[in-house]
Amino acid sequence: MRTNKISDEERIKAFKLAKKPEVIEKQKLNVRYHVEDFDVNDRPRRFLEAFAAILKHSNYRMALDHYSRVVSRCALCATTCQIYQATGDLEDIPCRRSELLLNVYRRHFTLGGLLKGRISGKDFLTDEKIQEMADGFWNCTACRRCTLECPMGVDHGLITHLGRYILSEIGIAPRALVVSTREQLEGASRNTSAIPIPALKDTLEFLEDDMLEEKSVNIKFPIDVDGSDYVFFPAVSDFLMEAETLMGIAAVFTATGDSWTIGTGYYDGINYGLFYNDRIMERIIRNVDEETDRLHGKNVLIGECGHASRTAKNFMPTFCGGKDARCVVSILEYTHKVWKEGKLKLDPNVVTEKVAYHDPCNFARQRWIVNQPREVLKSFCKNYVEMTPSGENNICCGGGGGTVSIDEIRPYRTTVGGKLKADQIRKSGCDILVAPCANCKKQLRELVEDQGINCQVVGLHDLIYKAIIFDDSLIVKKEGLIFDKPDFSSKEEN
Amino acid sequence: MESLLDFARGPLFRLCFTIMILGLARILSLDVWAIYKAYRKAGDKRMPWKLILSRAWEWFFPVKRISRNFQMYSVISILFHAGLIIVPLFLLAHIQLWKGSVGISWIALPYGWTFSLTIATIVLAVSLFIGRLVIKQARLLSRKQDYLWLLLLLLPFATGFICSNLNISPQSYQFFMLIHVLSGELIFILIPFSKIAHCVLAPLSQVVCAVAWKFPPKTDDDICTTLNKKGAPI
Ligand code: SF4
Repeated sequence: MRTNKISDEERIKAFKLAKKPEVIEKQKLNVRYHVEDFDVNDRPRRFLEAFAAILKHSNYRMALDHYSRVVSRCALCATTCQIYQATGDLEDIPCRRSELLLNVYRRHFTLGGLLKGRISGKDFLTDEKIQEMADGFWNCTACRRCTLECPMGVDHGLITHLGRYILSEIGIAPRALVVSTREQLEGASRNTSAIPIPALKDTLEFLEDDMLEEKSVNIKFPIDVDGSDYVFFPAVSDFLMEAETLMGIAAVFTATGDSWTIGTGYYDGINYGLFYNDRIMERIIRNVDEETDRLHGKNVLIGECGHASRTAKNFMPTFCGGKDARCVVSILEYTHKVWKEGKLKLDPNVVTEKVAYHDPCNFARQRWIVNQPREVLKSFCKNYVEMTPSGENNICCGGGGGTVSIDEIRPYRTTVGGKLKADQIRKSGCDILVAPCANCKKQLRELVEDQGINCQVVGLHDLIYKAIIFDDSLIVKKEGLIFDKPDFSSKEEN
Repeated sequence: MESLLDFARGPLFRLCFTIMILGLARILSLDVWAIYKAYRKAGDKRMPWKLILSRAWEWFFPVKRISRNFQMYSVISILFHAGLIIVPLFLLAHIQLWKGSVGISWIALPYGWTFSLTIATIVLAVSLFIGRLVIKQARLLSRKQDYLWLLLLLLPFATGFICSNLNISPQSYQFFMLIHVLSGELIFILIPFSKIAHCVLAPLSQVVCAVAWKFPPKTDDDICTTLNKKGAPI
């Protein structure tokens, strides 16, 4: 089999531990990510308790039973996993990793396993096995690409998801994610980047001024507008890092005239729950729903973010009203729709560089959003190139499954996780890589930087912002450009 | 020997065949029941049927699914499965047996076809065995049963081939036939209780995956109660 292994040097870099030996000793855990201190006593028992509780109140048992019966150990999944391809470590073969949890399940939660265990007195869950899981499940980026390759249809991403969930219930979860969600759910700012409302308003005001100057159009970020069609939840980090994306989105709404708003009660679309804990995920989804309720909004609109869109789309009906749940729209779907309706005019002469599109796994793996952004891009980027494989078969950016937010593992992400992606980007020769996902963008930027690839990583709306052509009626006459401060208290939509 | 063969072909065959059918029916209904229960519990009832069916369909004719990196291994495995199903099902001699005992029959493949398919299946089984041994990823993952199954599946094919194509003495014929029948019956019995149950379960995998991602609506509350974590900080 062809593997694409990293060099020895890269390996040393990727696997360098950022932690002090005392910490490892104290936490009885040797993993690359930082973990908050947790009760280290009796871990196996507590793991099993958490596992039992989760099985009782979830649907995982059905999948685990099915998977335990069908796994054939053919090793085909090894050929797709970007992690295994890069490390060549047999522990990184998806099926092998999934077996870590399936074995615990068989041994402790099935009749046959319990009997066999009783008789042989072997195969108890041990601290070492928990250590292996804590390592393995956070090596995986939960991109679910291997699922497509598995002839038995085993969803290794689901098993990673469940494994992390159980581990987090006993305190083993990356501190970066836990701290962020704590701020989001229990902190004063109610968002993962801890952006207070005044700072948010300042930022938006500043962007509005910028846009007025650049485009001569009064492009607004409507705040707390009651009864809008769309209540907007971007990955909150966009307010800090992706100004152009936000400006592009605001520009699209200005061009179409549809009503949208950002709510100051809750404005974070990020949902790290998807990456490590279903309970957390549920709470975050409920917050999104409540804020939309408060503002009497019709639809939830999620910004350029794969995991935020997928969680809202898939789990809003789960946790907030079944088939009566409110509609969740991704900004990619919205923009594609209005573009198709002819409401969005894009100048084909602005973006002349070679442009490629990266599919965020959470959009493409289930064939949800694959062609829509491509159609829009191709309509105004003359020099569009396709990377292969793409679409549902795309290669993960290497920072999926929340790993991108764990800064201390950056070397791992950019040498191991993103190795295949880096090769793919290099091969495409693109100057601009469009990745409509906050996570992918962060990871890909770090990846191209660390790998020395000369390419700019942007969002879809960054390019739209550049190329958008506004109706003459929207253009503010030059003399009107005496920058009046935009009025945020206004309930009117522009 | 002859009476033993008659017994193996007659009552024993019926018994084993029934065990297989009942066993598979049991396992299939358990699986379907579990899926149904999970679906009932799920807060979101929308099902991506188009995706499920198209992915399941792709695996029925897995041309599109040939692994890019493990091409040989993957093609061999697909062909092996095809041989495994086609040969016993469409072999004239088998169909005649069915006709003689239960009175049903279906079209048979011409002799030349089954002849070559049998050889092919044997060669493929051996190659898969070797594949599992020499491909380091597969070797690492393989359990004892994964090798044993290949050997066991090889047995009825090899003996069947000997009986129908080689000029051997009646005693040897009976001996090989007995092994042919008994090994087939052993396979029947084991199917529902082993990984070979995937013959009926695998087509459901895509549904399992879709339903598994549909969670019950009150996870947080329920689990916090069970784990005594109500009101605990994150
Ligand atoms: S989900 Fe992605 S990273 Fe994880 S094992 Fe599968 S292919 Fe590898």
